[in-house]
Amino acid sequence: MKNNLTLQTIHVIIFFLSLGMTSVAQQTFTDITKSSGIDHEYQVYEGTFGGGVTVFDVNNDGFEDLYITGGIKSDRLYLNNGNGTFKDIFEGSGLELTNEYVTQGVVSADVNKDGFRDLFITTITTTDGKNIIPRAKNLLFLNLGNSTFKDVTDAYGLEDLNSFSTGPSFGDFNADGYPDLFVGNYFQEFTGKLGIIKDATIVSANQTAKSYLLQNNHGEKFENIYEDYSLGHKGFGFGGVFTDFDNDQDQDLLVNQDFGYKAVPNFLYRNEYPNEHFEDVSKETGMDLKINAMGAAVGDYNNDGWMDYYITNIKFNMLMENQGKGLPFIDKAKELGTYNLAISWGANFADFDHDEDLDLFVSNGDLNPNCTPMGNFYFENNKNTFTEKGRELAINDYGIGRGSVIFDMDNDGDMDLLVVNQKPILNYPIPSTTKLFRNDIAKGNWLKVALKGIDAEANGIGSRVSIIANGKKIIREIDGGGSSHLSQNSVIAHFGLGVNKVVDSVIVDWTGGKQQILTQVDANQLIDIVEMNTPAKDQSYFWYFLSTILMLIIAFILYRKRMLAKK
Amino acid sequence: MIISKINIINRLPLFLLLIFSIACSTTEQAKMDDKDVALEWANMTLYITRYTPSNSPTFASRAFGYIGLTMYESIVPGFIEYNSMNGQLNGLELLPKIDPTKEYNWALSLNAGQSEILKKIYVQTSGENIQKIDSLEQLVFNQVQHDIDNETVLRSVSYGKSVAHAIFEWSKTDGGHRGYLHNFDKTMVHPDRPGSWKPPLFAQSFSHHPLHPHWGENRTFAAMNETISDPQIIPYDTTPGSPYYQQFENVYLKDLELTQLEKEAAIWWGDDPDVSFTPPGHSYYFATLALEGHDSTLIECAQVYAQVGMAVADAFINCWKWKYQFFTERPNTFIPKYIDEEWESFWPDPPFPSFPSGHAIQAATAATVLEHNFGKKFTFTDRAHEGRERDELKETDFVIRSFDSFWEAAQETADSRFYGGIHTKLDNEVGLEKGIEIAKNINALEWKKTNEK
Repeated sequence: MKNNLTLQTIHVIIFFLSLGMTSVAQQTFTDITKSSGIDHEYQVYEGTFGGGVTVFDVNNDGFEDLYITGGIKSDRLYLNNGNGTFKDIFEGSGLELTNEYVTQGVVSADVNKDGFRDLFITTITTTDGKNIIPRAKNLLFLNLGNSTFKDVTDAYGLEDLNSFSTGPSFGDFNADGYPDLFVGNYFQEFTGKLGIIKDATIVSANQTAKSYLLQNNHGEKFENIYEDYSLGHKGFGFGGVFTDFDNDQDQDLLVNQDFGYKAVPNFLYRNEYPNEHFEDVSKETGMDLKINAMGAAVGDYNNDGWMDYYITNIKFNMLMENQGKGLPFIDKAKELGTYNLAISWGANFADFDHDEDLDLFVSNGDLNPNCTPMGNFYFENNKNTFTEKGRELAINDYGIGRGSVIFDMDNDGDMDLLVVNQKPILNYPIPSTTKLFRNDIAKGNWLKVALKGIDAEANGIGSRVSIIANGKKIIREIDGGGSSHLSQNSVIAHFGLGVNKVVDSVIVDWTGGKQQILTQVDANQLIDIVEMNTPAKDQSYFWYFLSTILMLIIAFILYRKRMLAKK
Repeated sequence: MIISKINIINRLPLFLLLIFSIACSTTEQAKMDDKDVALEWANMTLYITRYTPSNSPTFASRAFGYIGLTMYESIVPGFIEYNSMNGQLNGLELLPKIDPTKEYNWALSLNAGQSEILKKIYVQTSGENIQKIDSLEQLVFNQVQHDIDNETVLRSVSYGKSVAHAIFEWSKTDGGHRGYLHNFDKTMVHPDRPGSWKPPLFAQSFSHHPLHPHWGENRTFAAMNETISDPQIIPYDTTPGSPYYQQFENVYLKDLELTQLEKEAAIWWGDDPDVSFTPPGHSYYFATLALEGHDSTLIECAQVYAQVGMAVADAFINCWKWKYQFFTERPNTFIPKYIDEEWESFWPDPPFPSFPSGHAIQAATAATVLEHNFGKKFTFTDRAHEGRERDELKETDFVIRSFDSFWEAAQETADSRFYGGIHTKLDNEVGLEKGIEIAKNINALEWKKTNEK
């Protein structure tokens, strides 16, 4: 087994770093953190936990902005200036309230459908040091449209949910167009105020937790319906991701659990929409992984039309390949070459090099305070086998990585990467700060698709975009967050097209069942697809047809009756 | 003198008694004899140990020490041939005295004392568990108080409680009081050198800090147990073939050829504090098995619980002292680095350094105490984890175990850590060896007036 050694000595790291700087023979990723003005390191509370980022266009100017959590330090709201630089507009944004909390993860969606994306930020405790048991409410901020935000946590019914929360994700499991939330909780949650804290309360605090399934009621309120939807498990949760694993056009839920071999394993819940129920299919699908699951990347890496999942872990990650309807997933990590020793957190599938298949980035970092440097991985997909090229492509940063996201920072059509790094608690041989990597390796053509939902979720969260180019079908899901680790990728679907200059068709399957098709789309552009008010697919046509006939019959009968009455 | 008017009807398990007493509270109740009272309190102690969150082998061992001692001290004045531990243990000097002119019922005193000390030591347990303790106390009280004059009843209960109170006050100064609030010292900086302990990656606990780093500084029960000489470690050496390397290579090779029987031993003795009564609980349970298998009197029962409890407590203090003094790595750190990158132990790592094995030291201590009381030969069946669900991940069942001597069980306890891949043979050998020494210091206390040991 040719595994990359991750436990490197300082000398080896310096050697690798210098190699990364000098090897200019090939196009690589370029670390533009400094020139971009991004200056961030996530500071942990006690250890291990945290650091996420969401990609969202805060002011709808067409350049995607960033919100990065800071832990016990301030979060950042980075406005993309559109010229390769970012400006921190956190102060004065109305988000300063987050300074009072140890923030963890962040996701964004248009909660109230007013055209601007709002922020949901998970927390584990307050920063004032007054909590004997680390717990706090999570925070919801509405985007007021002028790059400022308003705290609506209490107004949306989230005040009493005291939790040690990790990964949040938006999805629309009931397909009503309003983004709902799944929030991973790690230690036992409490409702309401804690009151007098006895020893018994303290010792029970480190028990496993129920997570939250928060239904968005018409953009006005969130309601925890975890148990109503049959999500009964308690575990050390790292959050989940809404994804359609069985191609039935509703959002299922993949849940990541730490200590799966001891507490409860990972879960895969099948959405029984339109029934209000999630069915636990973890066992039969082989997704009940008993590992330290930290995060997941979602993508159909073998282009067979079924979503696959790369689950990050301590030591070795799992590449869970979807075998299609009714068949259990199979771990292909070893066989396909994504089996390298590390402690992994974030992971992102993207076609970084525009050759029509999904490559894979993995963000690695020690548990902190354990502080052994380990480089990030870049697995290049080549005919469905993977080759690790992190060092070669200068993206094997040795910071203490956590959440990572893909987005097109400079609107040049390829996917750039941002990786949140933690400040080391102990001595560390190199700086460990958040990194922005510009993609300079993409060569082929591309297409980007942004969705504008009307009945569906405003940015198409929960919808699926497929393209067919030169006979090849490629699918993408719109990320509502929770893929990667505590983070959310761009909601703009990105496709590498290789030599294809035209896409034969772009198909959008909106949540709720409507389908929309565009044909003959030119490559190398961003297209906006606005949801058309067309009836949902074939089945609906049938009902329209049937009801029309019925009405005609009724009309005919009524007419005959009247005629008879006249006689 | 035992005032006991209770006939032995049978030895119904406690839950039957409880159901019985609730269902037929006005009719005649099933009755326990004095020995049953002692055994039921030991069972309750194990239950509370198991179902109190954030428990640890260290804190549990200490609790068994004080609870066992309280059982003994709450009745010892009634048994003329036995000595109190007052003045014999590290700083225990102010135990209350009885009024020798008055009568006492020792089962009532024991009952009151056990309830009191359990609730004081395990003050962090749930309200539901407190109720369970209270119901057992009430149940025993209702049965025993019949035909005893009210003043004797009150006097006996009061004495038991006062002993519990005095022992609890003494316990506060040993360094482990409310130790569950300080399981992990997050500010402590530990040595970082070749061969030093590293937080586990395949872990039993979410903590990356080692458990109870100051536990070795705690006061031992027997003063002699503060004077045990330090064991020897093997010098760090990564050269294949070196004694150090071989220790880990043996763990690695064993793991490659683990038999199903060895896997069963590995999971049986896991005794993870999150889901079981902990390793010292396993020893306290063996005391019950031994007493059940012998015709023991109330004072003999109490003496065995006191000895086993204090012995395992002293074993953990010494063990933890050495764990942090030597701060050695686990096989899960050495083997992936120098032998096989993909290797992972069969059983997950506990969150503390390796040398010596806590399982081995406490098992040897308990076995030595039990041998001292009952002789070397004793055939028994260990049902500690009977009925637990199969471990699907490890494809191994919890299979009950039979032994012909206490030492056989101790040896398997130690071996099981080697099978589990979390201890070297040296960790176990040293644990067993030092465990015997610690137990001898407990046995050597003046338990009986004749100085018969």
